Amino acid sequence: MEPAVLLDGITKRFPGVVANDDVTLRVEPGSVHALLGENGAGKTTLMNVLYGLYRPEAGSIAIEGSPQRFDSPREAIDAGVGMIHQHFMLVDPMTVTENVTLGREPRKWGGLAIDRARARREVDRLADSFGFDVDPTARIESLSVGAQQRVEILKALYRGADILILDEPTAVLTPQEVDELFAVFEELTADGKTIIFISHKLGEARRAADEITVLRAGENVGTVSAGSTSRERLAEMMVGRQVVLDVEKPQATAGAPILSVDSLVVADDRGVPAVDGVGFGVRSGEVFGIAGVDGNGQSELVEAITGLREVASGEVTLGGQRATSWSRARRIQAGLAYIPEDRQIRGLVLDFDLAENGILGSQHRRPFARLGRLDRGAAQRHAGQLIDRYDVRPADAGARARALSGGNQQKLIVGREMAREPRLLVASHPTRGVDIGSVEFIHERVLQLRSEGVGVLLVSSKLEEVLGLSDRLAVMHDGQLMAVVDPASITEREVGLLMGGEIPPDLELAASRLSDAVGGVV
Amino acid sequence: MSARERFRALLTRLAGASAAERVLISGASLGLAMLVGTVLILLAGRTTTCTPASATYYLGVGFCYDPVVVYDRLFLGALGDPLSAGWSPRNTQFGVTLRETTVLIFTGLSVAVAFRAGIFNIGTQGQLVVGGLLTALGVFAASRVVPTSLEAVLLIPLGLVLGALGGGIYGTIPGLLKAYADANEVITTIMLNFVATGVALYLVSDVFKDPGSQANQTRSIPELATFQPVVFDSAADFSVVALLLGLLTVLGCYVLIERTAFGYDLRTSGLQPDAAEYGGVNARRTIVTSMALSGALGGIAGAVYVLMVLGKFQTGLPAYGFDGITVSILAGNNPLGIAFAALLFGILKSGTIVVQFATDIPPQLVGVLRGLIILFVAMPEFFRLVGRRLSPGNPREGVGAARTPDVAGRESAGGDSTDE
Repeated sequence: MEPAVLLDGITKRFPGVVANDDVTLRVEPGSVHALLGENGAGKTTLMNVLYGLYRPEAGSIAIEGSPQRFDSPREAIDAGVGMIHQHFMLVDPMTVTENVTLGREPRKWGGLAIDRARARREVDRLADSFGFDVDPTARIESLSVGAQQRVEILKALYRGADILILDEPTAVLTPQEVDELFAVFEELTADGKTIIFISHKLGEARRAADEITVLRAGENVGTVSAGSTSRERLAEMMVGRQVVLDVEKPQATAGAPILSVDSLVVADDRGVPAVDGVGFGVRSGEVFGIAGVDGNGQSELVEAITGLREVASGEVTLGGQRATSWSRARRIQAGLAYIPEDRQIRGLVLDFDLAENGILGSQHRRPFARLGRLDRGAAQRHAGQLIDRYDVRPADAGARARALSGGNQQKLIVGREMAREPRLLVASHPTRGVDIGSVEFIHERVLQLRSEGVGVLLVSSKLEEVLGLSDRLAVMHDGQLMAVVDPASITEREVGLLMGGEIPPDLELAASRLSDAVGGVV
Repeated sequence: MSARERFRALLTRLAGASAAERVLISGASLGLAMLVGTVLILLAGRTTTCTPASATYYLGVGFCYDPVVVYDRLFLGALGDPLSAGWSPRNTQFGVTLRETTVLIFTGLSVAVAFRAGIFNIGTQGQLVVGGLLTALGVFAASRVVPTSLEAVLLIPLGLVLGALGGGIYGTIPGLLKAYADANEVITTIMLNFVATGVALYLVSDVFKDPGSQANQTRSIPELATFQPVVFDSAADFSVVALLLGLLTVLGCYVLIERTAFGYDLRTSGLQPDAAEYGGVNARRTIVTSMALSGALGGIAGAVYVLMVLGKFQTGLPAYGFDGITVSILAGNNPLGIAFAALLFGILKSGTIVVQFATDIPPQLVGVLRGLIILFVAMPEFFRLVGRRLSPGNPREGVGAARTPDVAGRESAGGDSTDE
């Protein structure tokens, strides 16, 4: 049988980098194919080539056996290729039907008006035929993220896609929504559609895909059948060496409370309360994790604690002192280190070199500043140490932060914040966009700080990460903490339910044990 | 590679240009500007009428204006004809060039300091007016108390301090408005320019008017309290002392911006306000301080103009403040570059006068030629800025799906990049 998609010897270069180097990809019709690789492995680039967004320098594309040359997504769509981007391209105030038919609306009165009734019927029929539970008259803004994703899929199907590309489709979903998505995959393939999805999560690829192609540094490392491979084998293919996947965590010896947050209310940029009455405490020597789907108030909570966002009401206490009104600088002084979620906007000044970035937050303190004068030598030595200890590449203190890859930027930030000798470390998505090798390293460092008696507040949307590292775990949903649980005794399913705003029956809370230690502050 | 990608690659390449390359690019830009200017001069020369004898002939076609003469006057004229026999660097026209350069160094620095902090100070002109007025009034008042023998030693520093103080306070106002009321500094500084000019006009024409003069000006300050023409003759109204002061200020600003903790805060605020906030920089204090500093530099420009050129305050000061914006952009807002940009600008200003004496070409056309040169020299710098914004790893570069792919910096073994 002809493959649904055959990419042959695709090479795509960008200034200074080869994003895809002679990549060949063969996708069987009616199968789910996972494109696995670390960030920057060239997965998205390869799919953008298939979708007509990029023209490759070399190589050919064949769809169902016939050679194609796509100059734009329009041509790819006409050939039956649809792509669902990581960020949805939907018009929020418009209905599902309007979004799905946008640009291809059925017409009446000789093309003068849109035949809304027919559009709705067509969308309804399409949704039904794939077993999608979507109301065609609902407005996009009223839908959950999972439902919006299904609308995106419908949109592609409505345009006649037989081959669906999904870019990191699970990044924004709760575990339950991921299950639903994979069920949709099955419906679609049963109907003869072909699915390619991009992922950097091993488990997902193994679960949902028939075949997995691993890309590393722009090259195809190999295609394996999902049933006949192991997590360890895939991780090794992705990284190019053996990786320890499970964190070994020694017993915590939690001490005095170092951070406590009490009935905190914080507004988001639009003035709507994003954090709504949150209270918890972090003790020295423990990792307190906060899980949740992105956008449920975690960012606002973290910014309020670190002094980057004003608090509407409630208290933040650092090391026993009321810190609610402290400036950012004072909090840093008090021993608060912070790995921000957005390294390129907050964490680094992209046009500064590594030496200058290494002193961000300490620019007024010795040894980097004496009597108001910067000591470039001291900054350079400091950057040199960070580079050595955290394996930042290129190992050049004079390189601009912009020139570093995301993982190396992150390593520099992690190094800088840990070198502060903090009492409290707030780590927001510390391994987002970082390769597996560095993830392992960052996790080790977090646990090392914990054993040195530092309190760690860890916010992450990666379940394995918060479950693996935390001593206690809170799940945040819609601005509130659903529950504080013991990560060792809770299942992923239960966390998933909590993330979706539901409290699972007979959930074992960690709260009772905690209140003894922190004096009533959960 | 599509045209779009090629353009991006070019921008990225430009953003990474070395210092030597940048000098070459500036030189080439200047040449290109003159080429385009030549065409314009020739065309303009064909559309006007002149006697056949006074016309210039190229390839048998007569032109009323000769581009060679125009550019010769514009550049060599501004330097006092360095190629002719008996040239002395101390000639009057070169003095005029350096006089303009000196004032422009201060206004250029004023704009640059604010720019580096991410603030667009259009108000240097107003700060110059306030600083100049305060200098003229204060020095005049003080000259009645200070003994003549000490005038030079005491009054010149006093004048400079007063200028800095006046401009500084006047710059602090939009700084405070921006920091505490979120008022856009472009709007407030433009408005404050009008306020400064208007109030100065009222004060000088009604309250402090020199009774012995028809013009709107204050009474003259004592000759000894002004910058003395040390090397150049007095006709140029130029003092090397003031230029040296300007160059010292250039160095001072460079050290302040690049080598101090305050400068670090200032640059961080200018490049990435969110990162500055993260790094514990007090955004409000940085805004107010840098505007005060920027205003003070503008005020010193006014003081220098009063103490070196006018010897009093007059209404209708030349627009050095606005030229400062161009000088600063030309220099890429780098203090060290401002000395050179101000010199180029000084040459163009002084040369314009020479061109108008030496040829019949309309002043508007000379203005166009000047504009062309500034535009051409500034453009590569502008595209460099754009290129830096576009180069891989910038989160704000993306337009829909055409964003830079997930490959930035892949040569490093870390082998990964920005969030996909």
